[in-house]
Amino acid sequence: MSRETAESRGYADPVVVGVALGLVLFGVILLAGRGLGASGAFAASSASVVHLVAPAKLTPDSYLARWVPEHGLLGEWIVVEILGVILGGWASAVLAGRARLVTERAGESSDRGRLLAALTGGCLMGAGARLARGCTSGLGLTGGALLATGAWVFIPVAFGTAFLTAWVRRQRQSAP
Amino acid sequence: MMAPWFSDAAGIAALPVGLAFGAALERAGLGSARTIGDQLRGRDFTVVKVMFSAIVTAMLGVYWASTLGWLDLGRVSIPETDLLPQAIGGVLFGAGFAVASLCPGTACVSAGTGRKDGALAVLGLFIGTLVVGLGWSLLGPVAEHAPREGATLAGDLGLAPGWVVGGLTVAGALVITLTPRLEGRPAGRAPGVFAAAVLPLGLLAVVTKEGPAVAAHRLDRIAAEIASEQDHVDPLQLAEWLKAGQAGLRVIDVRDGVSAEAYQIPGSETVPLERLGELNVEPEDIVVLYSDGGTHAAQGWVLLRARGVPHVYVLRDGLAAWEDEVMTPSPPEHPDSASLARYRRARALSLWFGGRPSSTPRAPAGTTPTRRRNTC
Repeated sequence: MSRETAESRGYADPVVVGVALGLVLFGVILLAGRGLGASGAFAASSASVVHLVAPAKLTPDSYLARWVPEHGLLGEWIVVEILGVILGGWASAVLAGRARLVTERAGESSDRGRLLAALTGGCLMGAGARLARGCTSGLGLTGGALLATGAWVFIPVAFGTAFLTAWVRRQRQSAP
Repeated sequence: MMAPWFSDAAGIAALPVGLAFGAALERAGLGSARTIGDQLRGRDFTVVKVMFSAIVTAMLGVYWASTLGWLDLGRVSIPETDLLPQAIGGVLFGAGFAVASLCPGTACVSAGTGRKDGALAVLGLFIGTLVVGLGWSLLGPVAEHAPREGATLAGDLGLAPGWVVGGLTVAGALVITLTPRLEGRPAGRAPGVFAAAVLPLGLLAVVTKEGPAVAAHRLDRIAAEIASEQDHVDPLQLAEWLKAGQAGLRVIDVRDGVSAEAYQIPGSETVPLERLGELNVEPEDIVVLYSDGGTHAAQGWVLLRARGVPHVYVLRDGLAAWEDEVMTPSPPEHPDSASLARYRRARALSLWFGGRPSSTPRAPAGTTPTRRRNTC
């Protein structure tokens, strides 16, 4: 039996996309001397929110103070980049007829369970990405390509934990 | 002109780069939590294939561009390495990745394409970032342990960069060609073409000797480090490292003819400048050099960096600054919250090192740390 993969559901060949993504990453390193990222945008935006609602929390030696954008949120490279990611993803999905308002389950038995899992997982990733100094994009892809030692510790630890967690979740979901 | 072309990475590139990144993730199906969920079940290797092919492609591009002298790696920002927090963060992140079946970048694509679960993952990312950001100082070594700017596998493993590039290329090509078997699907032509294209570039990297371009690049990089003051460590930072028992820390007094009674920073080794060339350094060592003012230490710094020792710092303003800022700190003349916080930090460290913190501001003699920042 041939299993279903993203490709068989109409998405592009992952190796072709991966090479294209690698060329984008190489290109941005040539252009700007920095790589791709994602979690940094959450750090910059949460620091901006704290700056707006409770500036007293931002003592100069606090962690979030490092992330308050100097020239406003839209003057921050990674924030503009991530807005591009959202727009680019949307445009690509519209062109392929895949943009629609739905809840997409990934093994959960109900939509409610799926939404709760997404929220919980998001919180864990937000916390983990700050400690790790980046996520799958900023540390994994960029640090991986630039041979940063931290990236090559993060990739196996994060993926190892992810496979293990997914296995534990499956055991619990299949238990009566 | 040698890349990177826009050193002040102003917004010019950010939007188009983001658009391309987002579109690529969507095209591969990574904006769909189902794809990532299936990967973690071992049924669909899209995530692994995209990541490995992207990393190998960009890695070879960067390696060859810098070897041929087109790209100045000294001006590329390499993600920081701090192994303990990164391992702990990796565990938290991996667990969250499996629960959400999305990562931060793909959550943004998922939300952008109308997935409600993607939007909630984005909300969660924001909450998690905020909580850790606000609680950062309570986390101690879990948040900051031994940060190293620009540490790479080649330096830390003591291997030539070409070997690392070659090894990772072979590993990547194997992963790309073998995973279709695990999926039980016909592979198509892409994996074979990929392997045939990257393997020669990776294996050629192994046989390249460090050419003139790379040597020149190393000198440029050393110059860039000096210009950006990455070569300095602040006396308070050094005191914190010593107090925390920072692994691999080696404090070296490079003064000539130091008498037995002379004051030295606790735990120092005495290695005069002319013997510094023989110093045995492990790749993971963090070497801090000091002299009375700092000139000799700065000369030692260039020597060790040119030898390829990865983590060398000069104690900013030498023993004189250690004395002023750690042993006898005084409150700021014009206090604001930053300088007061620094004074409180210095005071606690001073007491730990048996110093005598003063409670009145020092007479202004042009010796406040900020004014001396650029002297060595």
